[in-house]
Amino acid sequence: MKKEEKQYLYQIRNVAFSYTLGAHHIQAIHDISLDIPQGALVTFSGPSGSGKSTLLNLLGLIEPVQKGEILFQNQNVAEMNQQQLNNIRKYKIGFIFQQFHLIPVFTAEENVAYFLARQGLPKEEIKSRTRDALESVGLWEHRMKKPSELSGGQRQRVAIARAVAKHPEVIIGDEPTASLDQKTGKEVMQIFDYLVHEKKVSVILTTHDKMIQSYSDKNFHIQDGVLDTNHI
Amino acid sequence: MIFLSFMNLFRNSRRTLAILLTIALGAGVLFSFKGFIHGVLNQYRDNTVHSHYGHGQLNTKNYRGTVYPEPWKHWMTNRGEIENFLMSQSAVEHIFPRVNFSALLKKGSVAVSGQGQGIIAEKEAGFFHSLSIETGKTLTDQPDGILLGIGLAKALDVKPGDKIAILVNAVDGMISNAELTVTGIFHTGSLDFDSRVFRIQLKQAQSLLKTTSIESISIGLKNYSDWESFAFSFEKKFPQLEATSFAVLDKVYYQHSVDWLNAQFHVIQFIILSIVLLGIFNSISAAILERKQEIGNFRANGESVRSVMQLIILEGTFLGALGSCCGVGLTYIFLKLFLDDQFLMPPGPGLTRSFLISFQFEWPMVYTTLALSLLAAVAASALAGVRVAKMPIAKALRSF
Repeated sequence: MKKEEKQYLYQIRNVAFSYTLGAHHIQAIHDISLDIPQGALVTFSGPSGSGKSTLLNLLGLIEPVQKGEILFQNQNVAEMNQQQLNNIRKYKIGFIFQQFHLIPVFTAEENVAYFLARQGLPKEEIKSRTRDALESVGLWEHRMKKPSELSGGQRQRVAIARAVAKHPEVIIGDEPTASLDQKTGKEVMQIFDYLVHEKKVSVILTTHDKMIQSYSDKNFHIQDGVLDTNHI
Repeated sequence: MIFLSFMNLFRNSRRTLAILLTIALGAGVLFSFKGFIHGVLNQYRDNTVHSHYGHGQLNTKNYRGTVYPEPWKHWMTNRGEIENFLMSQSAVEHIFPRVNFSALLKKGSVAVSGQGQGIIAEKEAGFFHSLSIETGKTLTDQPDGILLGIGLAKALDVKPGDKIAILVNAVDGMISNAELTVTGIFHTGSLDFDSRVFRIQLKQAQSLLKTTSIESISIGLKNYSDWESFAFSFEKKFPQLEATSFAVLDKVYYQHSVDWLNAQFHVIQFIILSIVLLGIFNSISAAILERKQEIGNFRANGESVRSVMQLIILEGTFLGALGSCCGVGLTYIFLKLFLDDQFLMPPGPGLTRSFLISFQFEWPMVYTTLALSLLAAVAASALAGVRVAKMPIAKALRSF
């Protein structure tokens, strides 16, 4: 029984989420239940406004659980205090955003190293992890460049390196290839594929793109905040 | 975090420059205003000390606070012993024994009562330079000379060279009189003082009063700051006497003016700091609101609200330190280059003459200006940052 529980990174039970936008009450997610296995590349697909980004935010512990239950590594997220949530985000989750969110005044190397330093790692460890991460995305030669000196694809690869360098349990990416061309998008997906199958890191992405879905071990289609079981 | 907060200063150099300019201007205005007020207060102090009181005065204990029917019975009789002690004190530069007495001054049919000061005029002429001679010359070695306050001279309608009669109640109850020659007419800037005071030689006054005692000794020190230690050692040596500083002797003019100006200064300081705080808050708010997504990313990566606030406050600290140092430094250089000379100020409350003042600075003014400007910058950063730092992470990430 215990062995079976450990296989799931997330267990989601009857989760619903709503928010208010101006005068409108929006029910973003209706009663979703699903399990996300550890060490898999999982995608959430669906049209814009379907609720996939909201679900991703819930999995990334950056939105509070309003209704239902989310277990992260068998721990109920709703029962965690702010410090515990911060620590999980700091040590166990790597984020990659569509807009990269790199620190503009830092070089690529400093961007990767910053959150490692914030983890309190020793200098040597920070150096070696930063180098490994930048080499894995093919950007070691560009380490001294600032985000403004890099192309969109290169920036996204820095963002991936930043997430990877944390050695997280899971990497969560909200449409990480949306602002990239097809060729760069493929390169990024190959990196994710490598991380999942060689480094045993779980990767959860949202996407509209069929090409991205083709890399996934499991795809969940969401339509109007509801899990579309016909597409699974 | 320190490195990041420092690097963030270069994120938008135009905005950083605008914030630095706001802080520097605020610090500069605050610093120059402090220097100006300090100059005014120093001028007030010098005027008080060098017009009639010296740095302080010695009397028998409780003499000043008590009204005696025969005050001369409470005057100092051991002048020699006191002066020997005073001359042995390194802080003391000048000793001015005096007697004060009431008298009736007569010129023809006009009689006016006045407050006489018996002084060693030759010694006092050099020290009491704030006592300006309106016409004639100051009292120095003329044994039968009299120096009149401008108000008193006007009431008697006299001019230098005129002779006036003086009538005094001697200590034995008899009336003494003498005929004196007006050497000059003075004004100190204090309307009250100039309307009632006249000065004659100490020996002349003692002769009229028929006494060898002295009422007080005014003291001229090397430095203002020496008064406390001098007064302590003097009262220890002569427990039956007391030493009173000029600030207490001239409470109405000096101390009240100081308190009044300081109160004004605190109000203006508050206004300046409020303007600086609002200016910085506005600029820093704009800078931080542009970084909502980035701050959301920090929070998503496990940074607590407190850590984000630390980052923002550190940036405010850098800006505050740099801006206030530039403000104080540049203001000092500017004032030294262009406003180093004294300039004329109109008469203050209760005064009849203008003052020449200058900006005067001391190190504590530098420290307090830097500290206040830094505090304003940090407070503005914290106020601007707290809204974004506490914003729900997902909302911050969605922001544009």
